[in-house]
Amino acid sequence: MRKRSLVALSIDYPKTVVFFSVLLALLFLTQFPKMTTDTNPKNMLPATSAVRVGNDGVEKTFGLYEDMIVLGVSHDQGVINPATLAKLKRITEAILQIRGVAARDVASFTTVDNVTAEEGSLRVAPLMTEVPEDEPGLTKLRQALAENPLFINRIISQDGKTTAIYIPLEKGANGKVIADHIREIVSGETGAERYAIAGDPVARDTFGAEMFKLMGLFAPIAGMIMFGVAFFMFRSLFLSMAIMAPAMVIIICSMGLIIGMGYPVHIMSSMSPVFLMAIATDSIHIFNEFYFRFHEKGDRKAAILDTMQAVGKPIIYTDITTAAGFASLMLANIIPVKVFGFGVAFGTMLLLLLSFTLVPALLTFIRLDKVKLITANEDLHTSKTAGFLMNLSRIGSYRPRATLVVGGILLLVAVLGVSRIHVNNNLVEWFKAGSEVRTADRVINQALGGTSLAYVVAGAKEDDFMKSPEAMRYLEGLQRHLEALPMVGKTFSVVDYVKRINLVLHDNDPKFDAVPETREMIGQYLFLFAMSAKPSDLDNVVDYPFRQANIWVQMKTWDAQAMRQVIATMNEYAKANPLPIELKPAGIAYFNLVWNNEVLGDMVKGFLAALLMVFVILIVNFRSVKWALISYVPLLFTILLLYGVIGFAGKDFDMPISVLSCLSLGMAVDFAIHFVGRFRLRRAEATDDESLADSLAWTAARPGKGIMRNVLLFAAAFSVMLFAPLTPYITVGAFIVSMMFLSAIMTIIYLPALITLMQGWLLKGE
Amino acid sequence: MKRLALLLFLTIGLASSALAATPEEIVKKSQAAFFYPGKDFKARVMMKLISPSGQERLREMTMLRLNTGEAGGEQKYFMYFFQPAEVKNMTFMVFKYPAKDDDRWLFVPAINMVRRIAMQDKQASFVGSDFTYEDVSGRDLADDTHELVREETLNGKACFVIKSTPKKADSAGYGHKLAWIDKTTWLPMKEEYYDRTGRTVRLFSADEVQMVKGFPTITKRTMKNSQSGYRTEVSYASQDYNVGLEDSLFSERFLRQPPKKWIE
Repeated sequence: MRKRSLVALSIDYPKTVVFFSVLLALLFLTQFPKMTTDTNPKNMLPATSAVRVGNDGVEKTFGLYEDMIVLGVSHDQGVINPATLAKLKRITEAILQIRGVAARDVASFTTVDNVTAEEGSLRVAPLMTEVPEDEPGLTKLRQALAENPLFINRIISQDGKTTAIYIPLEKGANGKVIADHIREIVSGETGAERYAIAGDPVARDTFGAEMFKLMGLFAPIAGMIMFGVAFFMFRSLFLSMAIMAPAMVIIICSMGLIIGMGYPVHIMSSMSPVFLMAIATDSIHIFNEFYFRFHEKGDRKAAILDTMQAVGKPIIYTDITTAAGFASLMLANIIPVKVFGFGVAFGTMLLLLLSFTLVPALLTFIRLDKVKLITANEDLHTSKTAGFLMNLSRIGSYRPRATLVVGGILLLVAVLGVSRIHVNNNLVEWFKAGSEVRTADRVINQALGGTSLAYVVAGAKEDDFMKSPEAMRYLEGLQRHLEALPMVGKTFSVVDYVKRINLVLHDNDPKFDAVPETREMIGQYLFLFAMSAKPSDLDNVVDYPFRQANIWVQMKTWDAQAMRQVIATMNEYAKANPLPIELKPAGIAYFNLVWNNEVLGDMVKGFLAALLMVFVILIVNFRSVKWALISYVPLLFTILLLYGVIGFAGKDFDMPISVLSCLSLGMAVDFAIHFVGRFRLRRAEATDDESLADSLAWTAARPGKGIMRNVLLFAAAFSVMLFAPLTPYITVGAFIVSMMFLSAIMTIIYLPALITLMQGWLLKGE
Repeated sequence: MKRLALLLFLTIGLASSALAATPEEIVKKSQAAFFYPGKDFKARVMMKLISPSGQERLREMTMLRLNTGEAGGEQKYFMYFFQPAEVKNMTFMVFKYPAKDDDRWLFVPAINMVRRIAMQDKQASFVGSDFTYEDVSGRDLADDTHELVREETLNGKACFVIKSTPKKADSAGYGHKLAWIDKTTWLPMKEEYYDRTGRTVRLFSADEVQMVKGFPTITKRTMKNSQSGYRTEVSYASQDYNVGLEDSLFSERFLRQPPKKWIE
C-alpha cells in the first residue's frame, strides 16, 4: 500500500520528484572529479595475498623482476648478418635508455655474458661487443651461439632466424608505455627484419588501457542505440528520454558512490555503466503496461496508478533478484569484484525506487493527444506482435508434452555439453586472433622457448646445500622432467652455469658437459663464475647462502592449464626423488594461475549463493514454493543451455564467463517473475469462463510484449559489445544477448507448457 | 713575528696552490694516494656481500700489491682466498696495465689447474662484489674529462668535488661520476655514479681512514648499488706498506703454492 501512495504522491508532485532526482544525480556527480583508475589486473588480488607476498619474496631473494617484455626480431635469411646485428646493437642501446627498464639485466646479444675457452684461457664477456663485419667473425658468433645451450631457444632460435631481447621492468613501470617506446625505437629501423613485442606486461597493460577506452566509447553508443530502439518502439521522443533518464541517474549515482567511497575505477567497475543501462530497461514494463492501460481507460493519472498496481510487484521482485545476483559477488575475496557487485546492486535498488517515483512522474508530462495517437495500436486483438506472442504461448499450452520432451532432449544435450567445459584462462587470448599482441606472442613462442615465465624455487634446509653434487643432479633431473612437457620450451638454472664452466675449463671436452663430482669443484666453479660474470647472472638462479636455487621455466603458452601441469610435474618429481629439498612455484605464470583459481572459486561461491537467494526471493514473491519452482525452470534451462553451448564450442570456461554466470542468474529469472505474477493476477481478475490457455495467451501477449520489448532493448544495448576488439567483451555481449533471448523464449513457451501440464497441482486452492 | 709571517705565507701558498690545481692534477693526486701508496702493500681483506634482504656472503682473502711502475702505471695483485670454505687455497693474480686489458690468472685447486681469464671489461665485478676491477685498481686518468664542480665540507673535511665524464660513452658502467676528494689526504671520501639518464647507479663511501706507516689508508669502505639494492662492505686488517714483496712472487708457481709468510 505504501508503494502505491508513493506513486500517487509522485504523480501529484511530478516536478518536485524530477527536481529531487536531478539533485540526487548532481550530488553523486560531484564525486566524479575524485576519480582514480587502476588498469592493472594484478591488483585484482590484494598486495597482501599469499601469491603476491610469495612472488615478492622470490623476486627479492633472487634479484628478479615482476615483469618482463620480450622483443622478438626475425629475419628470413637468418639474423646473424652484419646489418641485423648492427640493428640489434642499436635497438638494445636505445632500450637501455628507456625509463622503467631494468637496464642492468636486459638480455640481448650485446649484454648477455658468454663463457668460452680460447687459446687456453677462460673468457667471460658479452656474447657480442662489436658487430662482426666479415665472414670469419660471423661464423665465430654462429658457433658461439650454437655451442652454448644457455643461448639456444633463449636468445637464438634453432634455425637462427629469430632472436629475442628480454627486457625486465622496474617495479611499477607500465608495460604498455614501455612497449610503445620499443615500438617507436624499432619503427625507426628499415630493412627486412620483423619485430614482435610480447610478454605478460604488454598484454596486461594493453588490455587495461583498451578496456577504459572501450568503456568510454561503448557506454555512450549503447545508450544511443537504446534510445533509438526505444523511439522505434514507442514512437515518442519524450518517452524514449523517459526510459533513458532513470538509466542515467543510476549510472551516475552508482559510479559516484564507488568513487566517493575511495575505490579506484577498476577493470570490473568500468563495465558497470553498460550493465546498469541494460538493467534499467526493466522500466520498459511500466511503459508497456501504461500504453495498454491508457488505450483502455483514456485517463492519464488513472492509467499510471493502474499500471503500477499491475506491474509494481513483478518490478520489485525482478529488481531484487537482479540486485541479489550482483550482491552475491560481494562474497568474493577479490576486492574489485566485490566493489563491482556492490555498485551494480546499489544501482539496481536505486532503479527500483525510481521506478515508483521518477518514472510515474515523467509519465504525467506526456502530451495527451500524442499518446492517444500512438497507443491506438496497442490492442491485443489487432496487433501483429500480440498475435505472434499468443501463438508462441499456444505451442506450450496446446502441446505441453511434446514441448517438454523437446526441452528434455535439449537439456540432456546441454548437460553433455556442460560436462565438456574445461576451465582455463589465458590473458593473451583475451585479444583477437589477428591482434598485434597475440600475433607477437605466437611468433616468439613458435621460434623460441616461450614468453610466459614461471619459476620453480628449490629450498634446502641448510646453507650451501645447493653446492652439493646431489642437489645439482636433483635440479638437473627436474629440469629435464619439466622440459618433457610439450608447452615448456626452455628451463635454466645454476646447474647450467656450473656445467658450462666445467666444460669450458676442460677445453670443451664433451665428457665434462656434466655436473662435477665433488662439492669443492662446484664451489670453486661457482666462485669462478661469480668472479667473472655479471653478479646478477648468479643471483638470479641461487640465493646468497646457497640454500635456495631458482629454476627458470619458459612456457610457450599463457594457459593457466600449462602452469597447473608444471606444478603437477614438479610435485611428481619431488615424490619420486626424495631429497631434503622443497619445491615451490612462483613467477607471473603462477600468479595468473592463482588469480584464475581465486576468481573461479569466488564465482562458484557467488553462483551457489545467488541460486539460493533467487529461489528464496521467488518463494517470498509468490508466497508459494510450487510457483517458485515453476518460475525457476526457465532460469535453469537458460543457464544450462548456454553453458552447454560453451562446452560444445570448446570455449574455455575463463574468468569473464565465470563472472557472467553470477550476473545471469538474477537477470534470467526476471521474465518468469513478470509472466507468473501477471498470469496469477489475470486468473484472479478474469471471468470464470476464460480458459487456462486463453489466460496464458493473454499473459504472453500483454506482459509478454513488455518482455519482448525488454529483450530487444537489452539486446540492442549489449550487441554493441560484439564489435569490441577484446574477446571478453564479445563473450559478455554474446552471452547476455543470448541469455535474454533464451530466457524470454523459455518463459513464453515453457511456462505455458508447464502450467498446463501441472495445473491440477499448481492451481489447487487458487 | 718572522716565523708567523712565514707560516702565513706557507699556508696561503699551500691553499692557493691547491686552488690553482687543475681537475686532472687533483684526480691524479687522488689516484696516487688511493691506489699507489708505498712500494707495496699487504692486507687481510674481509669482504661482505649483502643482498637487499640482508643475506650475506663472505669473502676473506689476503691481498698483495706491488707497484712495478710509478703512480698511475703498472701494478701486480695477488689474492689468496680463505673464505668461502670450499674455495680455500684458490689464488688469483692480476697484472694491471694502464691503457690496455689486464692479465688475470686463477688457480682452481679442486682440479689443480691454472687458467688465464680473459676479461675485456674493467667494469666487471671484482670477485662478485659491487666493486669493479677499476674500483680496486683505478681507472685511467685520460679516459675521462674531469671538472672541478665545487668545493665543500663533507663530515668536517674540506673536499674538492670532481665530476668525471667518460670520453667514450660505453667505456664505463656509468654516465658520469662525482667524487668528494679530501684536500688533506687526497683520498675519495664519497663517490656517486650516475647513469646516462641522471639516476644514481652506485654509491661509494670511505667509512674509516687510518694512518699506516704515514700513508692515510681507507680501512673500511662500502659500495652500494642503488638500483639493485645490493651492497658490499670491505674492511682491512693487519694492513702494511713496504713489506718487501718481490716480483718473483707473482708467478704461476706461487699461484699454485703461495709462500706461507705472505699469505698468513
